[in-house]
Amino acid sequence: MRTHRVRAVTERVLRQIWHDKRVLAFMMILPAIAMVLFGYSFSGDISDVRIAFVDEDGTDLTASILENLQADDAFDITPLEAADDPEKLLLDDGYAAVIRIPDKFTSLYYAHFAMGVATSAQGTIDLTLDESDPQIASTVRMGLADAVMDLGEGGPVDIETRELYGVEIRFIDSFAPAIMGFVVMLISTVLTLLSVVREKVDGTFSRVWVSPVRRAEFIIGYVVAFGLIALVQSLIVLTIGKTVFDIVINGAVAWAFICTILFAVGSVGLGTLLSSLAQTESQAIVFFPLVLLPSVLLSGMMWPIQAIPRLLRPLSYLVPLTYSNRLLRAIMVKGLDPWEEPVGLAGVLVFVVLTIAVASAVLRQSAGEAE
Amino acid sequence: MTDFQYVFATFDVAKRFGALAAVDGVSLGIHVGEIYGLVGPSGAGKTTLIRMLSGLASPTAGRAELLGAPMPDARRTIEHRFGYMPQERAVYRDLTIRENLLFFGQIYGMTRPRIAGRTRELLDLMKLEGHLHQRADRLSGGEKQRLSLACALLHEPEALLLDEPTIGLDPALRREFWDHFHALNSSGRTILLSTHYLNEAAWCDRVGLIQRGRLIADGAPDALRAEASRISGRAESEMEDVFLILTRAQPTGGRP
Repeated sequence: MRTHRVRAVTERVLRQIWHDKRVLAFMMILPAIAMVLFGYSFSGDISDVRIAFVDEDGTDLTASILENLQADDAFDITPLEAADDPEKLLLDDGYAAVIRIPDKFTSLYYAHFAMGVATSAQGTIDLTLDESDPQIASTVRMGLADAVMDLGEGGPVDIETRELYGVEIRFIDSFAPAIMGFVVMLISTVLTLLSVVREKVDGTFSRVWVSPVRRAEFIIGYVVAFGLIALVQSLIVLTIGKTVFDIVINGAVAWAFICTILFAVGSVGLGTLLSSLAQTESQAIVFFPLVLLPSVLLSGMMWPIQAIPRLLRPLSYLVPLTYSNRLLRAIMVKGLDPWEEPVGLAGVLVFVVLTIAVASAVLRQSAGEAE
Repeated sequence: MTDFQYVFATFDVAKRFGALAAVDGVSLGIHVGEIYGLVGPSGAGKTTLIRMLSGLASPTAGRAELLGAPMPDARRTIEHRFGYMPQERAVYRDLTIRENLLFFGQIYGMTRPRIAGRTRELLDLMKLEGHLHQRADRLSGGEKQRLSLACALLHEPEALLLDEPTIGLDPALRREFWDHFHALNSSGRTILLSTHYLNEAAWCDRVGLIQRGRLIADGAPDALRAEASRISGRAESEMEDVFLILTRAQPTGGRP
């Protein structure tokens, strides 16, 4: 193994990317776009759901329910005097829900408390709900339940939240580590794949193969190049995350970088092994969705793995990004060291070892069949 | 160098791809200082033969040796001493001429000053001087081919394996390439090249006619002409005719 040959390969790969300004721009802008686009559009935080609130009881208790609902960012509450036809309000006036608190609600509510569960009379809140969007509907249900539960001293129970990581974690906070892994994987895999296929098509690969360059030097040359690129991309994600979204970074940023670079190594391996399955650049493009879709849909990047149907969930554990997400979230959000998230760390390490080993084997085959 | 008899040698070498015999028992030996031309139609097995000599493909039978080293097993011992030009214009299209040469120099362990010096020499030789910072994909076909040849010559190898180095070039440029080959040859390089331009055979020291994976004639152009003339009974001077006569003279028409 000679470092000057590794350096030559690294330098060459970086030069090629440097010359292709479109690729360069894509590489640098992708993390930014992904952060801003997903960060805003996919924050999962629902807001401005229009709700009509009809209070027929008019007590302190019902007033504090209204207050609670109004304090919730998700809702835009319009108090109405009466609602004879709640369905008409939903269909014609565009409300997502009508909440009606009937007369005597408060007295039934307290009576129920005083007498315990044995009573049949119970305070009832009327909820007419447009369920055409299940996500909005469930937000309304949860918001209403919260509003009724959290009534302070007058209420039935008091929930005290203790935040494990010191602050409230928003979607964007746990999304940033995922997007870091995602852009690094996408760029490293796709560019390595294209670059190696191009070498085969153009014949430069044969030339390198008969030269003193060893397979290991070739792969390490690529790995170093994309490791550096991964570092730059992580920096972009973190910078935007911190400045635009003020994301929570609880752990050591250095660990996050190291783990991202490790993930880039595995991605280079993945790109190299996929390159053996493509003879031309257009054949290589077939693999892009194969890399992209499972990572977006199954890795727990957009929604938790628990939200993925049980039948598909085993596939999630075959997606490398799943492990990178666990690892990077553990480091950045939970403030753990990598070994404190052994599943994530082991997953990423297995990804690296496996892809690099297979890549090394298929490179031999790509060169012809010799050695 | 006395550790080998032939610069390029094959001993009954064969390469089968399934049922197809791309090369079917070829024996040849090329001495130091020769220009040897493998001549034959496309698909005759020229490229496969060159790939086996360069170590890119393993023979399925027989042996291939480069500078006395069995290929591909011992290729690491002689990898610095030969230059290879693949049939594709194998250069990095998104790098400049300088960067292409820099990379190929670096992987052969050349220092930057030496690469810079050789780059100047080669660009001068190949008439590419003004294009140092031009990207390879903006070069014309002929320029790209000259760059590809320069990449093979950069580390000053003593043996050159050139696969169809003049393919697709106009006649004038082909003559220029052959001037380069003769210049290289007179500075002591041994060259094995393939071509399907039959007239180029006349410019080699020795020619191997290859058809359907078999070597059907091997000798100096004049000797081949004499042989063809003897068969046809008239004076043959065109290599194209020589090739046709020698092909037809094969008992099986060259078919294995």
